[in-house]
Amino acid sequence: MPIKEFKPLPAQPAPVSTTGPIAWLKNNLFSSPFNIVATLLILSGLFLILPGLIDWLFISANWTGTTQDACVDDGACWVFIRAWSQQIFYGSYPSGELWRVNLCLFLLAVVIYLSFILPINLRNKVAIPAFLALPFVCLLFLDGRYLGLEYVNTDYWGGFSLNILLAAASIIIAFPFGFLWALGRRSNLPFAQSVSVICIEFFRGTPVLALFFMGSVMLPLFFPEGVTVDKLLRVWIILILFMSAYMAEVFRSGFQAIPNGQYEAADSIGLGYWQKTFFIIFPQVIKVSMPNILATFIMVFKNTVFLLVIAVPEILQVILGALTNSKWLGGHATEGFLFVALVFWACCYSMSMLSTSIEKKLDTSHKH
Amino acid sequence: MFYQKTIEQIKTDTRPSSAGAKAFYNNPKYRGWIYQSLLLIFLIAFFYSIISNTLSNMAAQGIKSGFGFMTTSAGFDVLMSLIPFETTDSYTKVFIIGILNTILVSIIGVICSTMLGFIFGIAYFSRNWLIKKISIIYVETFRNIPVILQVLFWYTAVLTTLPSTRDSLSIGEAFFLNIRGLYIPRLIDEPKSFVVYIAIVIAIVAIFFLRRWARKRQDLTGEQFPLIWSSLGILLGLPLLALFIAGVPFHFEYPELKGFNFQGGINVIPELMALAIAMSIYTGAFIAEAVRAGIQSVPHGQTEAARSIGLKERKIMSLIIVPQAMRVITPMLNSEYQSLVKNTTIATAIGYPELFTVFAGSALNQVGQAIEMMFMSLAIYFALNMMISFIMNQFNKRVAITTR
Amino acid sequence: MNTDHQASIHNMNEDIIVIKNLNKWYGNFHVLRDINLTVKKGERIVICGPSGSGKSTTIRCINRLEEFQRGSLTVNGVEMIDDVKNIEAIRKEVGMVFQHFNLFPHLTILENLTLGPIWVQKKPKEEAKAIAMKYLERVKIPDQANKFPGQLSGGQQQRVAIARSLCMSPEIMLFDEPTSALDPEMIKEVLDVMVELADEGMTMLCVTHEMGFAKTVADRVIFMDGGEIVEQNTPDTFFDHPETDRLQLFLSQILQH
Ligand SMILES: Nc1ncnc2c1ncn2[C@@H]1O[C@H](COP(=O)(O)OP(=O)(O)OP(=O)(O)O)[C@@H](O)[C@H]1O
Ligand SMILES: [Mg+2]
Repeated sequence: MPIKEFKPLPAQPAPVSTTGPIAWLKNNLFSSPFNIVATLLILSGLFLILPGLIDWLFISANWTGTTQDACVDDGACWVFIRAWSQQIFYGSYPSGELWRVNLCLFLLAVVIYLSFILPINLRNKVAIPAFLALPFVCLLFLDGRYLGLEYVNTDYWGGFSLNILLAAASIIIAFPFGFLWALGRRSNLPFAQSVSVICIEFFRGTPVLALFFMGSVMLPLFFPEGVTVDKLLRVWIILILFMSAYMAEVFRSGFQAIPNGQYEAADSIGLGYWQKTFFIIFPQVIKVSMPNILATFIMVFKNTVFLLVIAVPEILQVILGALTNSKWLGGHATEGFLFVALVFWACCYSMSMLSTSIEKKLDTSHKH
Repeated sequence: MFYQKTIEQIKTDTRPSSAGAKAFYNNPKYRGWIYQSLLLIFLIAFFYSIISNTLSNMAAQGIKSGFGFMTTSAGFDVLMSLIPFETTDSYTKVFIIGILNTILVSIIGVICSTMLGFIFGIAYFSRNWLIKKISIIYVETFRNIPVILQVLFWYTAVLTTLPSTRDSLSIGEAFFLNIRGLYIPRLIDEPKSFVVYIAIVIAIVAIFFLRRWARKRQDLTGEQFPLIWSSLGILLGLPLLALFIAGVPFHFEYPELKGFNFQGGINVIPELMALAIAMSIYTGAFIAEAVRAGIQSVPHGQTEAARSIGLKERKIMSLIIVPQAMRVITPMLNSEYQSLVKNTTIATAIGYPELFTVFAGSALNQVGQAIEMMFMSLAIYFALNMMISFIMNQFNKRVAITTR
Repeated sequence: MNTDHQASIHNMNEDIIVIKNLNKWYGNFHVLRDINLTVKKGERIVICGPSGSGKSTTIRCINRLEEFQRGSLTVNGVEMIDDVKNIEAIRKEVGMVFQHFNLFPHLTILENLTLGPIWVQKKPKEEAKAIAMKYLERVKIPDQANKFPGQLSGGQQQRVAIARSLCMSPEIMLFDEPTSALDPEMIKEVLDVMVELADEGMTMLCVTHEMGFAKTVADRVIFMDGGEIVEQNTPDTFFDHPETDRLQLFLSQILQH
């Protein structure tokens, strides 16, 4: 029998009724009576709000000037933010010494960048010690006394840089603590386990604000008489403990995500408990926990704003102070809050995007 | 997917791990005991120094200890209280008022954030592009802004810009909104109003029996009964009927402007409003995200299989999707509710008199017994969170899948 | 309904599915190109073809799991149009078995089976249970009735899925690679059930790569490629004397494995 040659039918363009902008509108905005009504309602709402909002935010906003008197138009007074911008980012840190704060921020960025680009074998040897050293290096620079620089009392530290550095310094030191607590919780030493569980549950169950309060009213009682401990240091201790509890839970779920084969492999090459834990298990736990670590960091980063309650001059506290400044009594709360909101939103949103992308990468790498 | 799994695991209890056990068999057993003994010695030293330092510090500063202060009179006024309070009342009463105010704002927060969360979480799956985008924008905006900032925004930037009492915004001379908050009419009982309350109770009982009857009938004959609509009908109809039979045995006490202030009605103070609004919106964003994740965790194949046996879309939702999604959503709800209760402490920033503000704040400032008062407050937060956990676990048991 | 069904076994003249010039696009991608297919009552059809050729899409159009943009499709005399009533009517007549079983994990096996009879056919619970047990016996796992899907092997799950569809007493059964997610020893138990079903005269459309099944059971084998039906024939001619070079190539590739 002769064999016919198979000639595929040519692909035809999709009917216009199913592609193209009109079809898109029909499918996505007007697909049912309910959707038609909803679309119209939303659109009319937007038309009602947006023009006024845009006008207030941008068009009739006041952008230039240095004093409140420059705010003549009806719109937002962005001059307020401008005039206070140094305070907002650096608190009352002396103007001439700002390079020290910038250096710390730069070092933080470098260390984070390093940990992403270094090859795995170097990452553990270089990035981890660098991370752990970072908070203390920053302390030395910011404080300045021991480096022969001008001494800057912690009362002058503040602004958004304080939010960032405090959050980063806390989570970094919380790493080893959290890891220890997680190990304790997993271990089958009954006493170590119950101590870990109590620590973790206490610091997770207590409102962070209550912890800050305890830091300011109770912690001083715990130190020997006559010893005064710096307020910021107390806050740092509190944040570390708080973070450690959350990190411990993050690590615990990381431990559970690691295949049992890894433990067995480590056993089979005859490594001791600590060697095995640190060289085989720890790097993997960090890797699978990355999205959760980021989520925890976002949480503590947002929580640094709570410090305004105990009058630590972080970003929002600076704004609140500026609002009561006698030269700026024009009621710029909305501008101030919107600005802080924008700053936090930008940081947290980009971090959560990063976390989602890491998560996706992990998800695919696990499938293979 | 991966993220959800780990989140779930965070919430499950430690599962006994064979790996951990093996690790220790490798080491001589006594090592573990050495570690534990070291830990014990460290803890003893640690607590010994803390306690001795604290005692000597307290002695030096003349701080008393014990709970004697609970019976002394507070001497300050509380901004808002659900039970009558006078400045001469004791700290015990302040404590109780604080707890009640915390519970009040928590309950409002839980209800409103759940509604917001479910509405926006489901809106994510809308076929309407605009609705979907609004859901995404809501979640991504509000969960990425510190909640304390949101509270301050509502309080300072919105509510304090409201008009004075004289120029109140009003609806029908019954609802007033001004710088002192929201004033709404108060419902006042009359002698015969018990009839209506009884009708409500009867309606609830009737619905309970109706459900049982409808289920039984469906088991026996296969016929379905429009339960939701008939329940709603009974719940509204019966009390309404009773209302008119008894001749509307209620009246409203309307807020009225007397001098510079309103009297009568119920006053929702701006502090409460700001706190409730901000908490609901903030937690709502997290709940919306949980709901979205929960619904997305149900594979599309489930819907397809349900369609292929001819189930209607609404039944697919209630019989297939919701039960499976709730299994993922409930543990997340549990932790969101607990965060909400803990977050009510930010009321301190605006002065809403919840437990933390009024007891661990104002009262502590006067009494100075930080340790007792802090731990009393913390105990309440732990108790509240345990209660939430208990309720959610009961709920989870009802929706959980027994296997898999 | 049942007596109707019995009578139809001997009456293979009635067209139960008529597909005319069916065209479907995913966005701008032309997935199905001028599909024409008529299925008679009681006919057993096997569809095969390379991956991505549109086999699944074709049979999923038949119970409206997918929409199509052009052409017409009639099932048991009901035309598939954009009307909930028609779609529901058609879905009642058509059962479907999926590659990944898609059992409802939160319901027991028995509840999986009675769900349709109770909520769609509005049958009393006891009657629905009786039906469910009848079909569970037919797929030879009545003892698993109170377990959850997760506790069953893949082969058992797939048999439950078949029973779940049968509980709705459909006129037509669609199978989308029912055995390709199964281990070899489980494939047979599922195929046995399908062969039995075929012997009873069920109208079946089956996407599968089990050529043995195609040879022994099918009345007609259809080969698809690039979204169109390339060739359809009785199994004998199909396998021994392919008409086109495309099918020849496909068969030679399959036989290599
Ligand atoms: N939801 C979708 N959106 C876009 N393209 C799709 C979608 N589903 C399927 N396709 C594409 O349509 C084509 C036909 O898919 P179909 O699932 O019908 O193939 P198939 O013949 O069943 O293949 P297989 O043997 O792999 O199951 C494929 O190229 C596939 O990539
Ligand atoms: Mg397929």
